[in-house]
This record gives sequence, C-alpha cells and structure tokens, in this order.
Amino acid sequence: MAKSSNEKKARQVSTSAGGVRGSMVKAALAILLLIALALGVAVFLVHRNQGLSNSNSGLASPTGLDFKPVVTPKGWTKGNPAAKTVLVEFGDYQCSACGAARQTVANVLKNHENELMLVFKQYPMASIHRNSMIAAQAAEAAGRQFRFWEMHDLLFLHQRDWGDVPDPQTFFLKYAEELHLDLERFKQDLWSGEIRDKIYRDLLEGQLASVRSVPTFYLNGSLMPRTQSETQFEEIIADAIKKAK
Amino acid sequence: MNKGTFLGGTLAGLAFIGMIDSAYVGLNTLQGLVVPCEISGGCEQVLNSPYARISGVPIAWIGFFFYGWVTACAILTVFGFPRWLKLSLGANVPAFAFTLYLLYVQAFVLKALCDYCLLSALLVTLILGLHLFAKPWKLAS
Repeated sequence: MAKSSNEKKARQVSTSAGGVRGSMVKAALAILLLIALALGVAVFLVHRNQGLSNSNSGLASPTGLDFKPVVTPKGWTKGNPAAKTVLVEFGDYQCSACGAARQTVANVLKNHENELMLVFKQYPMASIHRNSMIAAQAAEAAGRQFRFWEMHDLLFLHQRDWGDVPDPQTFFLKYAEELHLDLERFKQDLWSGEIRDKIYRDLLEGQLASVRSVPTFYLNGSLMPRTQSETQFEEIIADAIKKAK
Repeated sequence: MNKGTFLGGTLAGLAFIGMIDSAYVGLNTLQGLVVPCEISGGCEQVLNSPYARISGVPIAWIGFFFYGWVTACAILTVFGFPRWLKLSLGANVPAFAFTLYLLYVQAFVLKALCDYCLLSALLVTLILGLHLFAKPWKLAS
C-alpha cells in the first residue's frame, strides 16, 4: 500500500518536472522567435528606408554596373590646389553631422594648409532634409559671386534657423546681404537651371561612388572610414600626407 | 486571462517594440547611414555624437540586449515562471536611470532630440511602471 502511494507521488513529481521542462522549451522557442522577428522587422525597415532614399533622389541606382567609381577633385576647393593629398567631402547643409564636421575639417585644413586640398561636393539628401536642395542652390549662387565658402560657413552655422522653416529663402537672402552680394543676381541664380544641374552632377557622382550618408569623405580617391573624433580624423589625414610625400 | 499572463504579454509587447526600435537604429549605425528623424529632427546630431557609444559599442545595441532580456523574462512569466520578473526589474532600474541621463544629454548638452531615443525612453518608463504594478519583489523566491 505504502509502496503504491510512493510510486504515485514519484509519478506526479516526474509529470510535473516534465511539464516545467516543456513550458521552458516552449518559452525559449517563443523568445527566440520574437527576437528573430524583431530583427527581421528592423532589417526590413532599414531596406525600405534605403529604397525610399534612392527613389526620392530621382537618380538611377548604380547597382549591377561593373565599374570602379571615380571621385573627381572637381568642385569648390580650399587649401593648396597643388597638394598631393586631396580630401573630397560630400555634404548636405541641413545635416547636423555635416555641420559638426565643418569645424573638424577647418581645423585639419588649417594644420596642413600647404599639404592638403579640400573639395566640397553637394549631396543634398532631399528625402530627409526638405531644405537641403535650396540651401545647396544658395551656396552655389553665392559661389557665382565668389563667396561660396563664406555662404557655406553661414549655412552650416545657422542650419538650425532655416532647417525646418517652410520658406528658407528669406534666411538665404539675409546671408547674401551680409556677404554684400548683388541680391538681384543672387535671387536669379538661386533658381538657375545650370546650378541645379551642377548639384545633380555632384549627387550623381556621389551615388556612383556609393555615398549613402553625409558627410562622406574620400581621401585620395578612397572612401575614408567613419571617425569618432577629430583626433582620429587628423591622424588619418596626417598619415595620408606622410605617405604622399 | 490571469494577471501574470496579461502583465507578461504586455511587457513582451513593449519590449518587442523596443527591440525593433533599437535594432533599426543599430543596423543603420553599423552601415553608417543617416537615420531619418521625422518629428524631433535631431537624430543625426544625437546618433553621431560621442554619447551614442560606450567604449565604441553603439548604445542602440546595448538597448537591444536590454529589450531582449525583458522579452525573455516576460515570456517566461507568461509560461508560468513569474519569478523571472525580478531579474527583469533588476535590469530595468539601471536602464531607467540611464534613460534619464540620456534625456538630460539630449535636452541640455546636445540640445537635440531623437525620435528613436524618445520612443525608447517612453518604453523603458512604461516597462518600469508595469514592473512596479506587478510587484515582483513580493513573489516567493
């Protein structure tokens, strides 16, 4: 009798242990499934975002073309035009990271003014920065009156003022006035087809060179790795200058 | 539906959203992409700042592990192991304190807000609120 009762208890314990193990296994499967599902959704969203970015720029994707992209040193330049080390920046005036990079680039250029040439190319990401295209047009329009870099600095310095306003033109006209530009000519150039074509050429060059974010830097034609600090940026440039000597 | 299933299910749902949010930012960071910021407009500035990484590791991925842990504990609660909520709360308290620090950094140091970080702050707060409601410390160990 006692033996039978003990066997019953043992069976109950064993059944309960089996149930716990079963629940644990089911829970573990559910956890793994949820983690995989979350990663899957995130990957889908990243790809969808990339797709939107490509289609909104209105330019053909270079996918599938078998060629090595060339980043030319043509554009707005600063530093020594005869320097062996060329740093090309693809930038967007409404991008805060580009605004932050402006000072880093200026400091590096100041440290190596005889050995480095900086080339700035327009890469307005209009799909996420609604005023970036017209800002690029404003910089180019100022460039026609030989004040590109001055407008470039003003646009970056005040990007928070004009970044999200419905009509940023009033700000750009104010900057043009500060720079003593011919305002009538500036207004005309702001909407000039030639200027827009030039910006689209920069955009196309960037797309072909696989620029996917801003700012993107090319050092002597090669994509520069993303840096976390000015010191790291400076080290990479200094190293390239040393190698070029 | 009993209280444990409801709490566990709700926690798992919130943590699942958190995993998507942090993985989305983390994947963009890995690829060096610009994360579009529709509402607050400061994603680039926040996510490209030195505060977005700890010893080189993007905070987004640390957040992903946190949400993964909460999801695991919540699912175990749903399957009848509510004591795991204690471990989940153990991770949630420092996560909440860190969230407050990140909100301070965004508002007063960077003076820029990021949609994804704000969503994460909301989720961490809701998750902590649910834990406080569930009182896991009262469960027998």
